[in-house]
Amino acid sequence: MTASNAPLRASGPGGSIYDLGYQGYSGPRLGRAYAIRALFAHTLRSAYGIGRGGRAKIIPIGLAALPLLIAVIGVGIAALAKQAGELGSIVEESSPIRYAAFSGLISTFVILFCAAQGPELLGRDQRYGVLPLYFSRALARVDYSLAKVAGMVVALLILIVLPYVVLFVGRVFVADSPVDGLSAELPSVPPLIAQSLLTAGVLGSLAMVVSAHTPRRAYATVGIIAALLIPSIVVAVLHEEAFGRVGDFLVLLSPTDVLDGLNAALFDTQAGSPVVVDLDLPGYAYLAAAIVMTILFVGLTVRRFLRISA
Amino acid sequence: MPLIALDGLTKRYSASVTALDGLTLELEPGIIGLVGANGAGKSTMLKLLLGLLEPTAGSVKVLDMDVKTHGPRIREFVGYMPEHDCLPPESSATDFVGHMAQMSGLPRTAARERTAEVLRHVGLYEERYRAIGGYSTGMKQRVKLAQALVHDPRLLLLDEPTNGLDPAGRDEMLDLIRRTGTEFGIAVILASHLLGEIERVCTYLVAIDNGRLLRAAALGTFTEHTGVLAVEVEEGRQQLAGALARGGFEVVEDGRLVLVALQGEATYDAVRDAVVDLGLPLVRIEQRRHSLEDLFRDDPSSPQAPAA
Repeated sequence: MTASNAPLRASGPGGSIYDLGYQGYSGPRLGRAYAIRALFAHTLRSAYGIGRGGRAKIIPIGLAALPLLIAVIGVGIAALAKQAGELGSIVEESSPIRYAAFSGLISTFVILFCAAQGPELLGRDQRYGVLPLYFSRALARVDYSLAKVAGMVVALLILIVLPYVVLFVGRVFVADSPVDGLSAELPSVPPLIAQSLLTAGVLGSLAMVVSAHTPRRAYATVGIIAALLIPSIVVAVLHEEAFGRVGDFLVLLSPTDVLDGLNAALFDTQAGSPVVVDLDLPGYAYLAAAIVMTILFVGLTVRRFLRISA
Repeated sequence: MPLIALDGLTKRYSASVTALDGLTLELEPGIIGLVGANGAGKSTMLKLLLGLLEPTAGSVKVLDMDVKTHGPRIREFVGYMPEHDCLPPESSATDFVGHMAQMSGLPRTAARERTAEVLRHVGLYEERYRAIGGYSTGMKQRVKLAQALVHDPRLLLLDEPTNGLDPAGRDEMLDLIRRTGTEFGIAVILASHLLGEIERVCTYLVAIDNGRLLRAAALGTFTEHTGVLAVEVEEGRQQLAGALARGGFEVVEDGRLVLVALQGEATYDAVRDAVVDLGLPLVRIEQRRHSLEDLFRDDPSSPQAPAA
């Protein structure tokens, strides 16, 4: 193939002198697996506006910076409390910035990130007709959808995990000695990892499944927020109206409540939603619900791209 | 090994809409024109070659691999320029084409080098760093061609590549395509409804109509001499036709012409003699050529097959 280009070029009729001509490519072709990895990396960078204009970075980087700021404040409170001695321990106890409560504090930013960047990552290719170019290359439709979802989920994971890292490292060094700090903080690491992974999985895949179904950015953004808020509101209203436990079980269909229940179970604390508190389901019910939701959302995203005409 | 082998290829979009109907065809590398009216099935055929669509029946082999089982592998070596807009307006040509090169499996650095090279090849220079949204139609068509060429494909599929171009842009695009096919040894399939374009760049022609194969042959055979002699006289057309018919020739009158079925050299003599005998003012005698347009007349055989 490429080797045959050289003699053909040499004998080509009427080539212009100033034109250095087209060179064949005889380098490596890394194929499908590489294309998938490259699309994943491209999606992850695009989620933070990297490789795009300055304006594309403002929202995602801003939304990622605010949770970090909260974490820094949390470390600051811990450090001040340490110096204030007896009184300080009361302050420390009542500080809202702790592992168990952190996901609640940053949930607004996480949801806004989903609503802003999900449509950005999947809507553009549909809107501008780019899909035929992807699907006529080394990757398959399944690969495209999975690489895009993975890029979004990892982008979200970064947003969630970075402030935890700041909080964790800060608290370790605020302690009397780093060794004391580590032994005090390490038990929190497994629940933090589980909580981050599941939150990123559920919300990232939800943002992608909604965005996959419309090229219109505004519809997707509204759709993502609606998909997160409406089930939660419906469950709360049903709970108020005392439909009994049957109505309460609908909580397992509400992504935000599932994550709330999961967080409560992982950190052994009280959930934010009264429905979740009253229902008092075991933690593994929420774990199962979160995993099923993620699989379902990813599956529906893939299905969409298998069917979309290109 | 043929470049492309279609066997009984059929695509139905619904029970009543059949885009392609039982196409069986083998194509060798070259610049291949795919002609047909709008809706004849050209775009459908290109999409089936790429695996963008699944055939309803039949099989497609490209580069000796089955599209159904080796889609991604085949598409590493195929470039596709779709008919419609496919460029994100806020990307620059450099970023976009480079990304597409990686999607074809080229490593990052190679993708960058190839992008610079192929954008220069299609004639985009400084403007390649600007957002595509601000490009003219001609520039956008060049970017579309560049993304199809960036991974140095062995087969290039072009769907109406001159759409929306002015005459100068059209000439440049066709020249680019011709050079890509002849000088760089890349096989090209060019789908177009404009016969003039096909005639200018292609060496082989596949004509489809209503999803059926009308004809596939080297371009020359479409325009070769027919077995028909056209005789033009200033007057006495009917007398001439009558005389020739009495002489045992198949004759029809067509406007100012008398068309005579050619039966060897003797036919020329008979026509000459008949004209002399009748004393008619002769304008010309010539052997008719096919024209590409004949393919798509309602009844392609009628205008040139007298008394058939």
